[in-house]
Amino acid sequence: MKLHHSQGLLLVTGLQELNAANAATVRDGIRGAVTPEVTGVDIDLSKTRFVDSSGLGALIAIHKLMLARGGHVRVLNPIHAVEQVFEVTRLNRLFEVVKL
Amino acid sequence: MNVILQCPVVETGVPALSRKRPLVLSPFLGQTPLAHALSGLSGEGAKRICLQAGEKTSEVLRAVGAGEAWGLKISGPDERDFGDARRFVLDHLPQAPGIPLWTSYSVWFDAQMELLERLARQRVGMRELRPGVFVGLRTRIAPDARLTGPLWIGDNVFIGPTAVVGPHVVVEDDSYLDDDCEVVESIVGPGTYAGSFTELRRSFAWGRELLHLDTGSLTVVHDRFLLSDAVAPKFSLTRLWKQWRQRLPIP
Repeated sequence: MKLHHSQGLLLVTGLQELNAANAATVRDGIRGAVTPEVTGVDIDLSKTRFVDSSGLGALIAIHKLMLARGGHVRVLNPIHAVEQVFEVTRLNRLFEVVKL
Repeated sequence: MNVILQCPVVETGVPALSRKRPLVLSPFLGQTPLAHALSGLSGEGAKRICLQAGEKTSEVLRAVGAGEAWGLKISGPDERDFGDARRFVLDHLPQAPGIPLWTSYSVWFDAQMELLERLARQRVGMRELRPGVFVGLRTRIAPDARLTGPLWIGDNVFIGPTAVVGPHVVVEDDSYLDDDCEVVESIVGPGTYAGSFTELRRSFAWGRELLHLDTGSLTVVHDRFLLSDAVAPKFSLTRLWKQWRQRLPIP
């Protein structure tokens, strides 16, 4: 996982998968990188092949954190399979899913 | 009348449908396309069927047996005794010549929607709860579930409280839609469990597999509380352990 700060935005890239094995690490890593200047988190899922409920739980935790700070979380370019998981769990209504 | 019935095994437009079993044995409005085709051919006066399904012929023949269920005599794949027979390719049903089946997933879905009412009225035990809503035998539906036609609900189905099902939905036999589940413009395959608060739109869910009808994207859902087989697996380590534990003198 790579984290980039840019003009109040935290960009998360390089996630191969988001599951029980790495969900806590990802969640804590992003939490640690969310400084007071960060107003938004963009999570690039274009390389992510697999997301399960633990991974979704991590994303929800980050969403709640940013909501409490008045910020936002966006999910960028998920592949079809991951997008289907978002749809089946209705999380596409919670997160802004952006396809560039 | 003799018929040589040629069954496509894999179609390039719908490759995911033949992952679990031959294409002609995939779920289709309570039965399989092959069973519907045999009913249609029997209705047109066919007596003997030569069934050809390439390398899957023996598997397909096992599924239909000798054809007693349709009043037919089914054999195959040798067509030497079928010299003047009519040749029928199962890319549409004999009952609906103008409706293709396998061109794409959305065409396959549209075919089911087109034939839903006609086949529901022919199915024994299926009743119309309200216009366009057809329900099979031994199915339980919570009183506050919201059903909108056109909708096919098969036999032995459970639909939980405040679930939203329809319009344009087929729920195949032995499926379980849990509380608050929402299914719109989709097909739920036989023996499928859809968990609480899950939402299926423009999808075909069968066991843990979820296919998007427009993009053709197929994903396997690993969380069983979202989507899984409704039927307990035949082999389970937990069950095996329980059986052994009963026999062993462990306190």
